[in-house]
Amino acid sequence: MATRHLIIGGGTAGVNAIRTIREEERERSEITLVSAEKPYSRMVLPYYLDRSIAESRVFTATAAVLAGWGVKAFLGRRAVSLDTRAGACVLDDGTRVEYDDCLIATGSSAVKAPVPGADLPGVHAFWTLDQCRDLIAGIRPGSHVAMVGAGFISFTILNSILALGARLTIVEIAPRILPRMVDETAARMVQQWLTRHGVTIRTDARLVKIEERQGRRRLRFAKGGDVLADAVVMATGIRPNLDWLKGSGIRVNQGIVVDDRLRSSVPAVYAAGDVAEGPDRVSGGAAVHAIEPTAQEHGRVAGANMAGRDVRYAGSLVMNIVEVCHLDVASFGAWDDGRAEVAVAARPERDAYRKLLFTGDRLTGAIILGPSSDIWTSNDVGMLKGLVQSQVPLGPWKAHLIRNPFDLKPAYLAVRAAGRLLPETVLGRPAKAPGQTPVAV
Amino acid sequence: MRVLKITPERCTGCLRCELACSYMQTGEFQPARSVIRVSPLEGHTSYAPYTCVQCAEAWCMTACPVGAIDINAAGAKDVADDRCVGCKLCTIACPYGTMFYDPGRRKAFKCDLCGGDPACAQACPTAAITYEEVATADWLGDFAAERTARVLVGVA
Repeated sequence: MATRHLIIGGGTAGVNAIRTIREEERERSEITLVSAEKPYSRMVLPYYLDRSIAESRVFTATAAVLAGWGVKAFLGRRAVSLDTRAGACVLDDGTRVEYDDCLIATGSSAVKAPVPGADLPGVHAFWTLDQCRDLIAGIRPGSHVAMVGAGFISFTILNSILALGARLTIVEIAPRILPRMVDETAARMVQQWLTRHGVTIRTDARLVKIEERQGRRRLRFAKGGDVLADAVVMATGIRPNLDWLKGSGIRVNQGIVVDDRLRSSVPAVYAAGDVAEGPDRVSGGAAVHAIEPTAQEHGRVAGANMAGRDVRYAGSLVMNIVEVCHLDVASFGAWDDGRAEVAVAARPERDAYRKLLFTGDRLTGAIILGPSSDIWTSNDVGMLKGLVQSQVPLGPWKAHLIRNPFDLKPAYLAVRAAGRLLPETVLGRPAKAPGQTPVAV
Repeated sequence: MRVLKITPERCTGCLRCELACSYMQTGEFQPARSVIRVSPLEGHTSYAPYTCVQCAEAWCMTACPVGAIDINAAGAKDVADDRCVGCKLCTIACPYGTMFYDPGRRKAFKCDLCGGDPACAQACPTAAITYEEVATADWLGDFAAERTARVLVGVA
């Protein structure tokens, strides 16, 4: 009998696992997908929000594509419990799906700040396609949008909101913006840049209540004046979707604890993406990295192992990039490691900033800021990633980089980072192009 | 497959590759839009062209959330403009620093080997850039290490 794989969750991790199973398996298996939503890419929702792409473009694996891959799909259905002894999953309509192995890739959900009025109409979250549709309907040219939370998620839709002709006010409970993505110096430079570009930012702002007032929403704070907005976007964090696993016996810490094959504590159960707490490439410990590249790599490694290969995962590298009003802001690895040796350099006249963090003679974290029209910024972004990813010993170049954090390229070339990176592949073979996944025979 | 082999010892820093590349990529002679970049080393006494090595993992391609990066007929990883939304994930996924981004068009772009007849290799007058059937490699590492040793000693 063919092996029965069950994929729970149709996001980046789940879809990559399906593709990889089809690429790697020796004998044709049965694949079942259970997904509460039709598979789409969360990364592209900001571009749908500002109408630069049609809604049809957000979908990653349509029903036709899934059929082509020979996947039996339960779309619009949620998994409600997992019986790991019997090897069966129960769905919200009572359907029971048996499996030989399964992948939990149920992702995460937006969490609104727990204040009165958070559920009023016109108070949005921005995480799912449905929430994106609601927000599109809630913004018109000239609207005043209040964004609660100045983190990565709100910054990914900042350009879109401005492009729709709305005015934007960002309120943040912390004393500064982007508290989990960049350091204080970078945050100050980004804030100045955004203020110059007409965005109002209020930090140290504790939201206590949202009220409806003549068709608009009034935000009240612990101190300071009210903000009156047509639409409110709560970008106040995400939480992995793990509640349904209570009683399953699967070990959960910050996320589902997985080993370097993406296996959970329970035999034949894998986890990937935002729900998985897996190896961290830089620290060597375990971490939840709820970012797209980690979901993709997790999905591929889990898929390969489910297909019978033995693939070890080198670990995820936490990294984020966001462009706001043509300013690039990116960070890699352990950029806030208090024990690391730190070098910083700023060129305020060019809106450029670099922070490099060293552990021994390796680069273990970095922050970079610069105008996106500056080609050196985008080249340096990749090279910083390469130095952190490869963990190449910097030797005498460490001292050089500490003296001049902007002079990255000679160091990158001379430490032979490229030579160290070239042999590395996630699956031990060249990656396949998007159209190369074998279809059903 | 054929790749761009770089022999940096032969590079004179004339920048014809950047001109030719930008013309092929954008229709304009605009080195700032070139996806091959000549680096000056050792206080502009040495030069070395640097571009995408067409790596096996293709970090840009696997990171792309919309499948906008494909492998073209020449074997190069290539961005499809009509699919790229400009999210920049490829620029942080590529560990070589050879993904580029055009803020005007909101598209990523990169070396596509000109579809199999790379303009940079055609334009190079000293054969520092050749298009050959060889395994891709770290073409510049040893050269850069040698040509920068004095810089490091000088400032140490």
